[in-house]
Amino acid sequence: MAPRLLAGSLLTFCLLAESCYGTVLFSTLQPTLVVSASPKEGEVLRAGDDKITVTWGMNQSFPVGTDEAYKQVKVKLCYAPISQQDRAWRKTNDDLSKDKTCQFQIIVRPYNSSSQQSFDWMIERDVPTATYFVRAYAYNSDGREVAFGQSTDGQKKTNLFDIQGISGRHASLDVAAGCFSAFSVLSLFGFLFLEKRKAKTSQKS
Amino acid sequence: MGESSLQMDSERLKFALPVDSELKATELRIFSVAKPHMRTFHLSWIGFFACFVSTFAAPPLLPVIRDNLNLTATDIGNAGIASVSGAVFARLAMGTACDLFGPRLASASLIFLTAPAVYLSSIASSATSFLLVRFFTGFSLATFVSTQFWMSSMFSARVVGSANGVAAGWGNLGGGATQLIMPLVYDLIRDIGATQFTAWRIAFFIPALFQTLSAFAILIFGQDLPAGNFRRLQKSGEKPKDKLSKVFYHGLTNYRGWILALTYGYCFGVELTVDNIIAEYFYDRFNLKLHTAGIIAATFGLANLFSRPAGGVLSDILARRFGMRGRLWGLWVVQTLGGVLCVILGRVGSLGASITVMIAFSFFVQAACGLTFGIVPFVSRRSLGLISGMTGGGGNVGAVLTQLIFFRGSRYSKETGLFLMGIMIICCTIPICLIYFPQWGGMFFGPTTKEKITEEDYYLSEWSSTEKEQGYHLASLKFADNSRSERGGKVDSVPTPSDGTPPIHV
Repeated sequence: MAPRLLAGSLLTFCLLAESCYGTVLFSTLQPTLVVSASPKEGEVLRAGDDKITVTWGMNQSFPVGTDEAYKQVKVKLCYAPISQQDRAWRKTNDDLSKDKTCQFQIIVRPYNSSSQQSFDWMIERDVPTATYFVRAYAYNSDGREVAFGQSTDGQKKTNLFDIQGISGRHASLDVAAGCFSAFSVLSLFGFLFLEKRKAKTSQKS
Repeated sequence: MGESSLQMDSERLKFALPVDSELKATELRIFSVAKPHMRTFHLSWIGFFACFVSTFAAPPLLPVIRDNLNLTATDIGNAGIASVSGAVFARLAMGTACDLFGPRLASASLIFLTAPAVYLSSIASSATSFLLVRFFTGFSLATFVSTQFWMSSMFSARVVGSANGVAAGWGNLGGGATQLIMPLVYDLIRDIGATQFTAWRIAFFIPALFQTLSAFAILIFGQDLPAGNFRRLQKSGEKPKDKLSKVFYHGLTNYRGWILALTYGYCFGVELTVDNIIAEYFYDRFNLKLHTAGIIAATFGLANLFSRPAGGVLSDILARRFGMRGRLWGLWVVQTLGGVLCVILGRVGSLGASITVMIAFSFFVQAACGLTFGIVPFVSRRSLGLISGMTGGGGNVGAVLTQLIFFRGSRYSKETGLFLMGIMIICCTIPICLIYFPQWGGMFFGPTTKEKITEEDYYLSEWSSTEKEQGYHLASLKFADNSRSERGGKVDSVPTPSDGTPPIHV
């Protein structure tokens, strides 16, 4: 028990020391949270229409007291590796201040060590078409990440789900675009026709 | 649709600006709208500006568009390449169209016909459709050629560099202005209530409408030549209609046109490439907001307000003292320095340094564009449009190549791409040393001393003796006379030979 406490507080101390230097590295975070999301593997959800239920809580197999520093939990929607391919603006970086894996925040809640919490999230209309998983970060009182948990495995291969974003198109836009385009082309031919007529009349006079 | 009050006899036309024997203005008065010279000047740069705004309307909104259409970095790169590749051939075609139909009809037609591509950008729904709308919109950049042709027809040798530089520079301004306009319009539409993915679509109607309106203005208020419009002058016999095959032959066989096409690819082409990548570069590398990245990226294109005109003015100043040789040296020095600054831009790491170097780089690269078109009007008289088109097209080829090699997909980071592109600029500017005008000289050699070749010899060699008998070459003769100023400060009067001089192969 005593060695475990020592190990635990040593780890916390190291993490705090890290945060004093400014950068938090993802690889130093402990996966102490259990996170699950309602979509099944490979399920396709629609932005603006469907809901995701996320559940998070402490992994009880870790020693008591590991979560002493946790004050807040932020649950985020994160891109799966396949949606990060050839897209540098979604790149994973170990330095969390530069990491762009998780760009959408689902919910922020104060940390509750005793029970699991959950939230029903209506997928916002600005979420693009991609493959995702859910991750939760635990923050200490300084606002620094100290732990995390995610709905997928360590390699980010299992339990991934798809979201279909909105197209942003509307029938009225389609019609307007068509009409203005036609107007543009017809104006040109109208002008050319008028010019030809004027040239003919000026030749006769 | 010329002004009905124009007299048929060109001698009786009164102009607000002082003119030379070809009725071209010898002064550039920016704040005047006197017809035909200054009115044409303003119409032509505004039309070109509108096309630039449309062609580069997508880049500042890419952070939104790439998510909406699920684009990869490769898709974005391909669309960027497509946006500048259409104009390669469009510029050649435009040059020829100007030679045959006049810049007024040629430019207005192109602007009207490419406006639909901009309207239809708002309904793009995939990487392919996005690429197609950018491709067709990009054709509108051929209005550059009509602008240069128009300026070369309206302004004399003394001020043609400045006129070309200001008109093109203020047109290129569109590439910078759009980086400011589009995010602003987008934010406004979003504040009104549209979602992100709808707001960018609506925003595209602004550049499209602007384009349509400028085409109207050009057709209603514009005029091809100081004396009138092509069609009317052709029908009255004042301007002989030229043959396409001859225009092609004399343009394509002039090696200077090809060299300038290459080097223009490494000032203007580079400018287009940077217009395409710079907003994303700042947004992604320094984690800025869309709006902020747009503002910084805009300063690159906005520098055109001064830098390209400055290049044109510098070309004219150098010509007054050193003639054509001064113009050539000026171009080589300025463009090489642009390359050096591009190399540095690829190396700096902080936001402040990046912005500073980018502004310096923009100045040199755009001034080089102005200096190039201080030389182009003198390469050929008969095929002026085609040479302008070749050079302009070459500019776009440079843009295609640099984007293809350095900014497509994820092979190089944007910083490394800039570094390598800078090196390529320095190398591809060297061929300017090879340009030689027998009557004026080149960078390293003076004019031919063995047998004195005059401006008339050079320009009249483009016409056969039968054509000369019919008097088709008279416009070139006048131009040759007016171009004597390209000899530089120490001009001694040389007797003007009339026709009868043996044809010289240039």
